[in-house]
Amino acid sequence: MLRDERLTQFALLFVALAMVATYMFPVYWMYVTALKTGTEITAWPPSFWPANPDFAAVEVWQRMRMGTYLKNSAIIAVGVTAIVVVLGTGCGYALARVRSRWMDVALFSILMMQVLPSSLMITPIFVSFSQIGLLDYPRTSVILAQAAKVLPFYVVLTRATFAQVPRELEESALVEGNSRIGAFFSINVPLARNGILVAALLIFLQSLGEYVYSRSLIQSRALQPATVGLQSFMGPNTSDWQGVMTYAAIYVTPIILFFVFLQRQIVSGLTSGALK
Amino acid sequence: MTVPLSTTDSMPTVGTIRASGPSFRDGRGLDRVLVWLTLGFLVAFSALPLVYNVVMSFQSVDLFTIASFDRPFVGLDNYKAVLSQRATGTIVRNTAVFVGLSVALQLTIGFGLALYFQQRFPGSTWLRGLFLAGWIMPGLVVGGVWSWILAGDFGVMNWALQATGITSDKIFWLSDPSIALYSVIIANVWVGVPFNMILLSVGLAAIPDDVYEAAEMDGAGRIWRFLTITLPLMRAQLGAVISLGIIFTLQQFDLFAALTQGGPSNGSNVMQYWSWELSFQHYRIGQGAAVSVLMILVVICVAAIYVRSTRHEHAA
Repeated sequence: MLRDERLTQFALLFVALAMVATYMFPVYWMYVTALKTGTEITAWPPSFWPANPDFAAVEVWQRMRMGTYLKNSAIIAVGVTAIVVVLGTGCGYALARVRSRWMDVALFSILMMQVLPSSLMITPIFVSFSQIGLLDYPRTSVILAQAAKVLPFYVVLTRATFAQVPRELEESALVEGNSRIGAFFSINVPLARNGILVAALLIFLQSLGEYVYSRSLIQSRALQPATVGLQSFMGPNTSDWQGVMTYAAIYVTPIILFFVFLQRQIVSGLTSGALK
Repeated sequence: MTVPLSTTDSMPTVGTIRASGPSFRDGRGLDRVLVWLTLGFLVAFSALPLVYNVVMSFQSVDLFTIASFDRPFVGLDNYKAVLSQRATGTIVRNTAVFVGLSVALQLTIGFGLALYFQQRFPGSTWLRGLFLAGWIMPGLVVGGVWSWILAGDFGVMNWALQATGITSDKIFWLSDPSIALYSVIIANVWVGVPFNMILLSVGLAAIPDDVYEAAEMDGAGRIWRFLTITLPLMRAQLGAVISLGIIFTLQQFDLFAALTQGGPSNGSNVMQYWSWELSFQHYRIGQGAAVSVLMILVVICVAAIYVRSTRHEHAA
């Protein structure tokens, strides 16, 4: 009986591993291609393990000027996350605490702004930013546009986190003479810390991969982020797949590592916020 | 319905501090300021552009008038121009196919995986979470990897199809106008499956075990239990996941940019890419705005239905 049980468990685990492996194949293929050299890329049938593994990270990094691109991606992601955390945390808190018709209207409007696709918003954003002169600061323009795009998502996620902080703790802090702001910083924010961090991390990772706004608002190559850079190396007749996949691997490895380590928190953060 | 932060009858001590009307210290003012910080930012950078978009869709906007605040109004000309183009039919049909197929496949595969990982075995939760790696990767990178997998001459997909005898000729996934759209759909399904699966898993976990146990005692088989218990109890969840799927699919842009650029000859073009193309590659900004307005209406309708239905759930 017990043996049977264990056998089923192993069978289930085995099939699950096979499904994960199938799903992950594109990620695997990216790394394998990045490790291949010369003619092995176009070998037919393709090899599934590089014969002479060679990770040309340094060469690709310099040739494709990845330093500049990644720096710009980081600047944009940090800027967006900063704006979103400063503005959105309090909003998530207030929406979790106060229920009134006005708050419902506010929440509804915020939810509606979450769904506006970047590729449809970019036309008016481009024209208005160019008219008020913001386009002279292209990365700032991208940061502001992207912050507006992801702020609602952050508010929704943190609202779910703050809703889990017991009201009584805050109330007793108020009784002890704390101000609302004091109680917010000394009770609510520390208790909601994990949820806030996960939400901020998701915003950061999303902004690290931002493309539409950067492509449309930033003309100068020196200011473009890694997504736009990658696109420029992927013309319709690309043959340098090793270079492109090496670029991609360097770019996403930190993102994937972040994700694997914080997987559990990310999943629970997503599931608590996304459906409410 | 209204639940104030703390009422005087439950907390008399606090009540006396708060009686002085809305202010920073008693809190009502604070809540309002906090919400308005976010709302103000969103009004400036989302709502105003949204309004401006509608205005521009009735104006003649091109490279010469872009800097002017006083552009000629042209009535419905942009809409007429956009809707009368030869490509319009193709692009509208592509958008419908893209959304319909993507959402259907994401949902089916995601639901299947959610059901599978609902079973208890070592590492099930952790392995399930790994799928989200596909969701968290930048869209451009996903598109780049898929365009290499689907490459016509040396792509591994063609090798796999030939090796297994499914096709004898190489398929030109990205350059054949009748197939290009499906390449983007494949990549988009890959991106969307994890999110569908995780959200549906939450719903499945919420169904109490004893419901199933009771049905099992009554002799209900696996499929019957799925049809009579799982599906009805998951109705709200499925509705939510479908609406979110439509919304996310209509936001998809990066994969088009990385895989096909809407081509060849609009074979894989969809409304959200076309709008950008009109504005930023043909500089027909008024027309780009018109397409954008039409699609934003669609997105907002879907979202409003979704939000209303979830609000209902909570009230009930």
